[in-house]
Amino acid sequence: MSFDWPWQYNFPPFFTLQPNVDTRQKQLAAWCSLALSYCRHHKLYTLDIMEVQECPVFNHKNIDRKLSTEAILIVFEELRKKGNLEWLDKNKTQCLVMWRRPEEWGKLIYQWVSKNGMVNTVFTLYELANGDDTESEEFHGLEEWMLIRSLQALQTDGKAEVITMDDGKGVKFF
Amino acid sequence: MHRRGVGAGAIAKKKLTEARYKERGTVLAEDQIVQMSKQLETFKSNLEEFASKHKQEIRKSSQFRVQFQEMCATIGVDPLASGKGFWSEMLGVGDFYYELGVQIIEVCLALKHRNGGLITLDELHHRVLKGRGKFAQDVSQDDLVRAIKKLKVMGNGFGMIPVGGSYLVQSVPAELNMDHTVVLQLAEKKGYVSVSEIRESLKWERERACHVLDHLLKEGLAWLDSQASGEPQYWLPALFSELTSRGQSV
Repeated sequence: MSFDWPWQYNFPPFFTLQPNVDTRQKQLAAWCSLALSYCRHHKLYTLDIMEVQECPVFNHKNIDRKLSTEAILIVFEELRKKGNLEWLDKNKTQCLVMWRRPEEWGKLIYQWVSKNGMVNTVFTLYELANGDDTESEEFHGLEEWMLIRSLQALQTDGKAEVITMDDGKGVKFF
Repeated sequence: MHRRGVGAGAIAKKKLTEARYKERGTVLAEDQIVQMSKQLETFKSNLEEFASKHKQEIRKSSQFRVQFQEMCATIGVDPLASGKGFWSEMLGVGDFYYELGVQIIEVCLALKHRNGGLITLDELHHRVLKGRGKFAQDVSQDDLVRAIKKLKVMGNGFGMIPVGGSYLVQSVPAELNMDHTVVLQLAEKKGYVSVSEIRESLKWERERACHVLDHLLKEGLAWLDSQASGEPQYWLPALFSELTSRGQSV
């Protein structure tokens, strides 16, 4: 399924940080939305600032326009404020992108578990995110750090318990 | 159908009778008054017949509406002059343009966040037609222009700026003077404009050009592109959609 670019993507000024405050607000909102949609579409969970600059989202070769590093950082700061992004290091070179929050993932996982009558079963994290059974689910391929956070959210709700096993972590659903 | 004596013809007759007694200089003969009354009655019933025959056509055909409007203009009648009254009630012309005005406002409001309240007549037409669906009445650009003129009169902040053979429709009361308008017209060709283009085409001083462009940025009508080769370009979203959204469903 190909990605649906918004009209702004083909609009050259979209890649210039706008001087007018109101226009800039609209621009940043559009960038946040685009960045999240793109990550969601390609199932990206971590981003590296250097790599991201060459990514088609921020570097639109067809119209010869790219978002500057400074502007990218401003967009990322907006995402961080909204709770969709977390820096992994102080120097801001790598970050986690949460186009879906842990609570939302937890809910999806639990829905699948209860729909398949697998409550009270123990799963390894690997089985859950990468097993054959979950291949058609949205949470298939979820990276471990996000999976753990999602399960922790369920744990807080009393719907699951993360357990440590011999060769890794697992989870039991209630 | 017998009139109660309060119709136009009766009033005219009364006034003429009074005049006859008051001003000895101007006296109309009794039979002339009778003739005028008869003519007025005939005129009125012809109009009623015309109205009932063509009411459907007025709603259905934009071509008919244009011709009808032109006919009204030649006899000095504006069917849209007042909401109530013979013309708009009998023929429903007022309703049609009123509803269209509402639709126009809806489209402009929906797109305001994107284009700052400026839209080409073409795009407005395209979206109004889409909003009406496949089986709805035909709406022409002439219809839109008339409806917008009515909106303008009612003080809705609407205005029309002539550009490149058509119009830009303004739906927010942004202050646009002649200088701004002229730059908009210049930008219409490519969807953007630069300081040197303005200086070259209009022979203005740099400061005057910059002042206008800054104002357009401030009003949210233009966006800055500083990655253009040579010098910064000022793009108008209103003119951009026109260029690329043909055929898109957004």
